[in-house]
Amino acid sequence: MGTWRGLRRAKSIPDRLITVLVAVMLASAPLIGSTVADAQDPVIRFGASLSLTGRFVDNARLTKDGYDFYVKHINERGGVEVGGVKHKVEIKYYDDQSDTTTATKLVEKLIVEDKVKFLLGPYSSTMTLPVTRVNERYRIPMVVAHAASTPIFEQGNKYLFGTLNTVDQYFENVLRMAMDATPRPRTVAILNENALFPQLSADAAVKVSQQLGLDVVYNQKYPAGIKDLSSLLAAIREAKPDILLGSGYIGDMILLARQANDLAVRPKLFGMALGPTHPRFVESLGKIAEGIVEPVQWAPNMPWKDEIFGWTAREYADIFKREYGYEPDYHPPQSTAALQVFHRAIQKAGSLDPEKVRDAIARTDIMTAYGPVKFDERGVNVGKRMAVIQIQEGRPVVVYPGTGAEKKLTYPR
Amino acid sequence: MLILQLIINGILVGALYACVALGFSIMWGVMNLINLAHGTLIMVGAYVALLLFTFGGLDPFLAIPVSAAVTFAIGYLLQRWVINLVIRGSVFLTLILTFGFDLLLVNILLVLFTADTRSLTPHYSGLGITVADLVIPYIRIGVFAVAVALTYLLHVFLTRTRLGNAIRSTSFDREAAELVGVDVTRIFPLTFGIGAAMAGAAGVLVALTYSFSPVLGGAFTMKAFVVVVLGGLGSVPGAVLGGLTLGIVEHLSTLVVPPGYQEGIGFIVLLVVLILRPAGFLGKPFYAEVKA
Repeated sequence: MGTWRGLRRAKSIPDRLITVLVAVMLASAPLIGSTVADAQDPVIRFGASLSLTGRFVDNARLTKDGYDFYVKHINERGGVEVGGVKHKVEIKYYDDQSDTTTATKLVEKLIVEDKVKFLLGPYSSTMTLPVTRVNERYRIPMVVAHAASTPIFEQGNKYLFGTLNTVDQYFENVLRMAMDATPRPRTVAILNENALFPQLSADAAVKVSQQLGLDVVYNQKYPAGIKDLSSLLAAIREAKPDILLGSGYIGDMILLARQANDLAVRPKLFGMALGPTHPRFVESLGKIAEGIVEPVQWAPNMPWKDEIFGWTAREYADIFKREYGYEPDYHPPQSTAALQVFHRAIQKAGSLDPEKVRDAIARTDIMTAYGPVKFDERGVNVGKRMAVIQIQEGRPVVVYPGTGAEKKLTYPR
Repeated sequence: MLILQLIINGILVGALYACVALGFSIMWGVMNLINLAHGTLIMVGAYVALLLFTFGGLDPFLAIPVSAAVTFAIGYLLQRWVINLVIRGSVFLTLILTFGFDLLLVNILLVLFTADTRSLTPHYSGLGITVADLVIPYIRIGVFAVAVALTYLLHVFLTRTRLGNAIRSTSFDREAAELVGVDVTRIFPLTFGIGAAMAGAAGVLVALTYSFSPVLGGAFTMKAFVVVVLGGLGSVPGAVLGGLTLGIVEHLSTLVVPPGYQEGIGFIVLLVVLILRPAGFLGKPFYAEVKA
C-alpha cells in the first residue's frame, strides 16, 4: 500500500509540476510572447501627438497621411529589416486638439505609459516647441517634419531632428537663383510683417544678400493687420530695387502684389516667402500673380529617387494620389521622410535602443523621394535646399534648382 | 520726389476716405446715430462688386450703382423696422444696436464668402500715367474722380433739393422740423438708406484700392469716425477736408516714423484738432451735436 501510495505520489509530483508549469505559462503568456518578440520580431512602435481637431487640423491631416503612407508601404514589404529580421511598424496617435498643453501631456503619456521609444513631430512650430522639452527630458529621439522656426533647433536638444528646411533658408535659393540671371541684379528690397516667421526669413534674407554682394536698399517691417501698403511701396519704388522680397501671410501678400502692381513697383524679380502656391492667390490676383516666385520645400517633379522604396518624387506623388485621392504638396513627403530617417538609423544601429538610434540618426545620410536628408549639429536637415516656383500662366512651376526645373525662370519678370 | 509721390497718394486716398466717411457723417448729423455697422456696409458693397465682376464680368466702376442700391435697401429696411423703434431713446441704445447688427453682418459675410482675402483686379489694373517718375494709376484716378463726384452729388442733394433740405432741417432741430411738416419717421429711413448707399458705393472704391476680407469693415468705421470728427459733424465739405488731411498725413508720416505708427497718426491728429478746434475744421456749434 505504502509502495502504491509512494508510487502514486511519485507519479503525481511531476503531474502537478506540469500543471503548475502550464498554469504559470498560461498566466504569463503575454509576457513571454513579448520577450520572445523583442528578441526576434517586435513591432517597431512610433508615437505622435497630432492636431486631429482644432485650428491646425487641415495641415495635421496631411502630416498624418504622410506618416501612414510610410507605414502602409513598409509593412506591405514585410517591415524594416534589422539584422535579417523584419519588423512591422505601427504608429500610436493621440489628438492634441491643437492645444500645446495637451500636446505636452500626450507626448509624456506616449513615453511613460505607452513606452514608445521613437517620436514623430506634431504639425507647426507652435505645437512642436513645447513638446521638444519633453522628448529631451526623457532622452527619446524625435524627428519632426513640420516645424520651420529655427529657434526650435537652437535650444541644444540632442534628441531633436527635422527633415524640412528651416525658415532661415527660405529666401536663400531665391537669391542664389537671382544671381544666375541676366542682367545680374545688384539691389534688393525686403519688406516683412512684424511676426516671428516673417521676421526670421527676412533677417536671413538680409544676411544672404550681403554674402552674395547684393545691396540691401530697403528693409522695413510692417505691423500685423496692415490695410494699406502704398506709402511703403512708394518708398520701395524710389529705391528702385532689382529684387523685391516680401514675407508675411497670404492676406498681406495678396495686398502687396496688388498694390505693387497698381503703384508700378516693378522689380526684375518679385519673391514671397509664403502665398503664391496657395490656390486663392492666383484666383484672387489673376494676371497680377504672374512671375511671382516662392521658395518651396518640395515639388513632385524634383529629381529625387528614394533609396528605400525605389520610387521617384513623381512616382511618390502618383501612388499617394491614387491612395489618398489628392495630389500631395510638400507636407506628406516631409512626413514620410521623417520615418525613413528612423528606418535607416534603426538599421544602422542594429538595435531598438533609443540612445543608439539617436546616435545613428545624427549620422543620417539618405536619399528619399522628398530629397536628401543629412543633419548638422543642430539637427537641421542641410542635405537639401529649398526649390523655387514661379507663377507662370496661372500655375506654380518649378524653376530652380536647374536639375528639377519644369520651366525656365521668366526674368526680368 | 518721394515726398511728392506720397502727397499724390495721400490726396488720392484722402478723397476715398472722404467718401467712406460721408454716409457715416450724415447719419450721425441727422439722426444722432453713430452707425458702428458702417464699415461692414462698405464691405457689403465691395462683395457685391466682387460677385458681379467674378460671375458677370461687370466692370467694378459700373457695379457702383448696384452696390449702392443693395446697401440702400439694407439700410432703409434696418432703420424703418428696427432702429426707428429706439431712435428717440439714448444714443447708447442705438450704439449697441448697430454694434450687434455689425456682428451679424460680418458673420453673414464670413459664411457666404469665407475669411479669405480677395482682390478686385480689372484688366486695366497696374496701368497708369507716369510723369517725371511720378506714377498715378488709372484705378486711383478713377476712384478719386468717383469719390469726388459722389461727394459733390450728395452736397447738391442736401443743399438744393426739397428732400435734402428736409433732411438738413431735421438735423438742425428735429422738433422744429416736425412742426413745419417734415415727416421725421419717413426722413430717418431715407437718411439711413442714403448713408448706407454712400457706404456701398465707397465699398467698390475700397475693393479697387485694397485687398479685402469681411473683417476689414471695422477699420473703415474707425477711419470714418476720425474723418468726421476732424472735419466737423454732418458737414460735407468738412468730410472732404478731414479725408484729405488724414490721407496726406498718414502717407507723409512714413517719412519720419516706422510704418507701425501709421495707423496711430490719424488719432494723434484727431487729438490735436479736438484740443484746438473742438467742433472740427468746419463744424459749427448746434450743428449736429451728440445728445446723450
